[in-house]
Amino acid sequence: MIPLVSAPPSSPAISSAIDLPAVVVSNLRRAYGDRVVIQNLNLRIERGEFVVLLGESGCGKTTLLRALAGLDPTQGGRIVAPRRPAVVFQEHRLLPWDNLWRNVSLGLTAPNAQALAAAALAEVGLGERVGDWPRNLSGGQAQRVALARALVQEPQLLLLDEPFAALDALTRIRMHVLVRELVARHRPGVLLVTHDVDEAIALADRILVMRQGAIAFEHRAHTAGSAISRGDLLAELGVASHAAA
Amino acid sequence: MSNFEQTASASEFDHVGITDTSPPADRWVPGIGKRGLWLLSWLAPVVLIIVWEIAAKAGWVSPQVLPAPSKVLNTAIKLATTGTLLHDLRVSLLRAAAGFVLGGSIGFTLGVLVGFSRIAEAAIDRSIQMIRAIPFLALLPLVIVWLGVGEAQKIFLVALGVTFPIYINTTLGIRQVDPKLIELGRVQGIGPFELIRRIVLPGALPSILTGVRYALATAWLALVVAETIGAESGIGFLAMDAREFLRTDVIVLTIAIYALIGVAADVIARFLEGRLLAWHPNYGGSR
Repeated sequence: MIPLVSAPPSSPAISSAIDLPAVVVSNLRRAYGDRVVIQNLNLRIERGEFVVLLGESGCGKTTLLRALAGLDPTQGGRIVAPRRPAVVFQEHRLLPWDNLWRNVSLGLTAPNAQALAAAALAEVGLGERVGDWPRNLSGGQAQRVALARALVQEPQLLLLDEPFAALDALTRIRMHVLVRELVARHRPGVLLVTHDVDEAIALADRILVMRQGAIAFEHRAHTAGSAISRGDLLAELGVASHAAA
Repeated sequence: MSNFEQTASASEFDHVGITDTSPPADRWVPGIGKRGLWLLSWLAPVVLIIVWEIAAKAGWVSPQVLPAPSKVLNTAIKLATTGTLLHDLRVSLLRAAAGFVLGGSIGFTLGVLVGFSRIAEAAIDRSIQMIRAIPFLALLPLVIVWLGVGEAQKIFLVALGVTFPIYINTTLGIRQVDPKLIELGRVQGIGPFELIRRIVLPGALPSILTGVRYALATAWLALVVAETIGAESGIGFLAMDAREFLRTDVIVLTIAIYALIGVAADVIARFLEGRLLAWHPNYGGSR
């Protein structure tokens, strides 16, 4: 009995780590000089949850993503994340002088980094090109490598900064399918920043619309009878559309 | 899986489409083909040498002014087998190599420092730019006063000529590294040492190798000048010694040797670029 009562202190920590949110942001503030870009922003993303952040250009959504990535300093508030998040940018940002597996393993310290990278590349459908060079890839393929590079880190929070914006429509739809599969398998919390309303509807568990540095609208996709129309979202974004009328 | 393969083939198709539409804006191409153009490019130099040979053999040009190419070739073989040509060549190459390594390391080290650190830039860049404004050969009399006319003077002069092109292109290369890739390195959580090794130096390499090519050219220039003064061996000594005895054939030979070494250095530099920059669309071969 006694050993059961005095269970090793690490075990509750482990079980709670599983339930721990991917990130909790409280009262975040970000300003460039006098210009306040993000004010009093609160956000919580669970592991396995796909959150899409919509907003006009300049509303602060990329600023928020960069703050979460730890790339820019903040001026107040707290960001609590269990581990360093992984990021996929709009540009693939592959190192042109390294082949694919070396690109994917950038930052991995495990001794079997090459095998991990190869497995990650196989997961995005490029398993046969581990030794190939970035310049031989199409835009969609390069972005898949960038996804593999992010996921091989086993992040608990995955930040996607308009990663599909530069792709053609068909490739973008294939990427949507792939990303949903990967997120379902690895279960990181995801924050996807985009302009694309259709992309948001296709991918999100939760859609956020940001206006003037704060979250102005929130919609949960998977609650009962919660289909949101394109027109409603566009209206939230301040775009009057015929669909909305 | 199959839809990935479709993407791949679709993109390859795109690529073919792009290359098909992109032959360069053609200049006038006669119907002789690539090989014909290559032969044509060699025609002028070969004709020039034949004319030179005929002119010398016919006595239109005095051998004191310009000996026939065949005579120069004979001299080369004679000096190589019985004379000191190979020894002199080795001495010259060693001087150039020593000066290049010395100047190259100094230029590279300073370039890396200044490329990375604003403080280092503020501390040393201005001084280096001021010294660079001096044509380095103008320092020759001073160098002779400091170091005499021995090996040290020659190596120093070569090193001086090499340092600046390497320095400038190293700093430039480091500054031109895409900041987005450096940001990526931070996101992937690599430390400063890894950042330099994996991202900054490879990114700066094209520029650094350009510096190496310039430096090879200045190294030879410096060596020629250094060896014409107070040398007791080396190609430059051979030339000055030949001048004393009006051996124009030997002088022309040394000039030809300098030219060949210059070409060889350029070939080596191109080879390095081809190997180290295989990833680069402007340098690498087909991969």
